[in-house]
Amino acid sequence: MMALSSLKTGKIDTVACLKTSDDAMIRKLMAMGVLPGVSITLEQRFPSYIVKVGRTRAAVDRETAKSIYVDGAAN
Amino acid sequence: MQCNKCPMKLKCSDSPRQKKRGLLGFFRKKKETTTAESVKMTQIALVGMPNVGKSVLFNGLTGTYVTVSNYPGTTVEVSRGQTSIGELPVAVVDTPGMYSLLPITEEEKVARDLLLFQSFDVVIHVVDAKNLGRMLPLTFQLIEAGLPSILAINMMDEAQQLGIEINPEYLERELGIPVVTMAAAANFGVNELKARVAEYVSSNCLSRSY
Amino acid sequence: MLAQIAYPEAIEKALAEIESLLSRENKLSLDNIYPISRRSLALLVLQKDPTLWERLEQNDKLLAEIEAAILIASEQLGEPVTAAIASSRQQLAWQMEQQVLREPSEAKTPLSETIHKLTVNPITGFPILVFILYFGVYKFVGEFGAGTLVDTIETFFEENINPVVNQIVATIIPWQPLQDLIANDYGIITLGIRYATAIVLPVVATYFLMFSFLEDSGYLPRLSLMLDRLFKSIGLSGRAVIPMVLGLGCDTMATLVTRTLETKRERLISTFLLALAVPCAAQWGVIVGLLAQKPAALLFWAGFITVVFIVVGYLTAQLLPGKKAGFYMEIPPLRLPKFKNILIKTYVRMKWYFFEIIPLFIWASVLIWFGRLTGLFEQIIGLLEPITLALGLPEQVAPIFLYGFFRRDYGAAGLFDLQQQLALSGNQLVVAAIVLTLFLPCIAQVQIMIKEQGLKTTLAMIAFIIPFAFFMGYLVNFSLTILGVSF
Ligand SMILES: Nc1nc2c(ncn2[C@@H]2O[C@H](COP(=O)(O)OP(=O)(O)O)[C@@H](O)[C@H]2O)c(=O)[nH]1
Ligand SMILES: [Mg+2]
Repeated sequence: MMALSSLKTGKIDTVACLKTSDDAMIRKLMAMGVLPGVSITLEQRFPSYIVKVGRTRAAVDRETAKSIYVDGAAN
Repeated sequence: MQCNKCPMKLKCSDSPRQKKRGLLGFFRKKKETTTAESVKMTQIALVGMPNVGKSVLFNGLTGTYVTVSNYPGTTVEVSRGQTSIGELPVAVVDTPGMYSLLPITEEEKVARDLLLFQSFDVVIHVVDAKNLGRMLPLTFQLIEAGLPSILAINMMDEAQQLGIEINPEYLERELGIPVVTMAAAANFGVNELKARVAEYVSSNCLSRSY
Repeated sequence: MLAQIAYPEAIEKALAEIESLLSRENKLSLDNIYPISRRSLALLVLQKDPTLWERLEQNDKLLAEIEAAILIASEQLGEPVTAAIASSRQQLAWQMEQQVLREPSEAKTPLSETIHKLTVNPITGFPILVFILYFGVYKFVGEFGAGTLVDTIETFFEENINPVVNQIVATIIPWQPLQDLIANDYGIITLGIRYATAIVLPVVATYFLMFSFLEDSGYLPRLSLMLDRLFKSIGLSGRAVIPMVLGLGCDTMATLVTRTLETKRERLISTFLLALAVPCAAQWGVIVGLLAQKPAALLFWAGFITVVFIVVGYLTAQLLPGKKAGFYMEIPPLRLPKFKNILIKTYVRMKWYFFEIIPLFIWASVLIWFGRLTGLFEQIIGLLEPITLALGLPEQVAPIFLYGFFRRDYGAAGLFDLQQQLALSGNQLVVAAIVLTLFLPCIAQVQIMIKEQGLKTTLAMIAFIIPFAFFMGYLVNFSLTILGVSF
C-alpha cells in the first residue's frame, strides 16, 4: 500500500483506503467517487494533483493526495 | 407497460412512507393540512449533486433565471419559481448541490433541511448520465426515505458523444421509480419529464385522499 | 425492484435498535415531524446527523443508548458506520450502473479533452493563463471597455448631455444650490449618472461578459487548480480563486460569493483581501486608462498591488489561528459556451449591479451636495489635505479620497476627471492610484461585509485599511523621490 502522492503519473491503481481525521474531506472524496475498491489514475502532480476516477476528474492538493492510499500494484 | 409493477402502484401500496402513514396517520394528517393551507400548489423539488444541470432545468421549467455556471458550488440558496404542467399549477424549488442526505457543508444542509422540513409532491433527482454510478446512491437514499422521487438522467448529449448508452426502462424496473433521460441544456426530454411528473402527481393524489 | 438497501449485519442491527428506541420514546418520535421514512431517520441518527441530534439532546438516556448502539456497530465493522453505509450504497450503485450503462471500450478522445490537458499542464497552462489575462482582461476590458468605449460615451456626455442639462436646470430652477444638486460639477445627472453610464457601465459590462465566458466554458475550476499552491501561501485554497477573479469585476458581489468557501477562516481572509487589495473593474479600468500612456507606471502599480495582496495575505494567514483549508474540487468537462447563456448571465449581473449601485451613486451625489452645502465636507477634506500633501499630491486629490469611500470607482472616476483638468505627474498618478486601490471599499461592499462577517470584524478591517492605504502611498512616494525615479 502506498500514498497516491507517490504514484507514477499515468498509472492506473486501485484505491485501498482513505487515511485522514478530516471527516468532511473523506465524505467529499467519497462523493467524488474516490473510495476503496475503485480504480484511479493519477494524471498529473503539478501544480495540483489531478486524478481520474471513472469518468470523473478531480483536483486535490498534496495533503489530500497523501491521505488517499492505493494498492500499489501498478509499481 | 408492466402495470402491476409500476411505481405509482408501488407508492400506494408498500413504500416505507405509506406504511408509516398507516401507523401514524393521525399525526401526519394534522401536520399536512396545516402546511397544505399555505401551499395549495403541487410542490416539486430539484435535487442532486452540484453541476448536474438542476439550475438549467429550473430555468427551463419556470422561465425564472437563476445562475448557471460550469463549476460546482454556484447555487448557494434555494430559488423558487412556478410553472404549469397541463392544467396543473406547480411550484418548483431549485436547491444547492447535495451529495447525500447527510450534509457536509452549509449549502448541502440548506438542500437537505428543505427535504426534511417541507413535504413535496415530487422530488426530481437530477444526475449526470456520465456519472450515473456515482450519483445513484443519492437516488437510493431518496427512495429509502420514502420521498416521491423521479430520476432525471441529464446530459445525455455528452454521454452520447462518449458513445455511452443507457437503458432507462431497465433502471426504472430496478429502482421502482420513474426514470427519464434528458439533455436540459438542449431542451431535450424536458417535456417527457413534465408528463411523467403529471402522471406521478395524479396517481399520488388518489392515494393521498385518506 | 429496490425496496431497500440491505446494509451489513452490524448496521442493520443498530438500525433496528435505533428505530425501536425512537418509537419507544413516543413524545420525541422524530418521524411525526419529518416527511421521511423511519428507516431513513434511523440511518441519519446512526450517522450522527447534527440537526436530528440536536433534537435528541433533550433526552440523555435515549442518547446514551443510541451512542452505545453506534459504538457496537462500528466495533463490529472495524470502520466508521458512515463509511460502511456509503460503501454499501456505492457497491449497489456500481452493480446497477453495469447493468444499465454500456460504453465503448475504445472511445476517441474528444477535442475538449485535448484542450483540457493543455490548460492544466504547467508548461502550456501558465502561458495560456497569461494569454487569457492579457487578451481577456487587459485588451478586452482594459483597452476596449475602459478605453475606447469609455472615451466614446464620456465624450458624448460632455458634449451633448451635460451642457443641455446644465442649461435646462439653470433656466427652470432659480436656486443655485438646487441647481448644483442636479447639474453642474457634482450633480446627480452630470456626475452621478454620467459616472454610472459613461465610465462604470462599459468597464463592468465588458468584464462580466468575459467572466461569463470563462465561467460557462469551465475554465475557472482549472484556474483554481493552477493557482492552488500560490493561494495556499496566503492561507487560502484554490477554491478562493473564483471569488477573487469575480472581485476584479465587482468586490461586493465577490464578498457574497465567498460563502461558497469551506472554512470560516478562508472566508475571513478572502473578505479582507477583497476589501484591501482587489480593485473592482470600475476602479482598475479607470486606472489602466489613466496609466495607459505610461506602461512602466502601470506595471509598477499592478506589481505593487500584487505584492501587497500576497504579503498581507501571507501575514494574515500566519497570524490567524485555525486549520488550513484543504483543496479538493471536481473538474467538470470543458464546454463550448453558448452565446445566449453568456448574454443572459451578463445581463443578470448587470441588472443586479445597477439595482445595487445606481441608488448609491445618486445618494452619493446627494450626500456630497449636502456636505458641500453645510460645509461638513470642507472640514473633512481639510483634515485630509495635509495627508494628501504628505503623499506628494496636490490638495485637489483630497476630495477624491473622500468620494472614494462612497464608491471606490467613484474615486477612480474622480481621478479621471482631475487628470483631465490638472495633468498630474506620473509619480502622482501612481501614488494616487495605489492609495485609492487599497483604500476603503465602497459603501455597498461595507454593507455586505457587515452582513456576512459582523460589525466588529468589519470595523477592525476598516481600522487597518485606512491608515495602511495612506502609509503605503507615503512609502511609495518617499521611495520614488529618494531613488529619483519618475514615471
Ligand atoms: N452538454 C450539456 N450541458 C449541460 C446540460 N445541462 C446542464 N449543462 C451544463 O452544466 C453546467 C452546470 O449546470 P447547472 O444548471 O448550473 O448545474 P447545477 O449546479 O446542478 O445547478 C452548465 O455549464 C450547463 O450549461 C445538458 O443537458 N447537456
Ligand atoms: Mg445550480
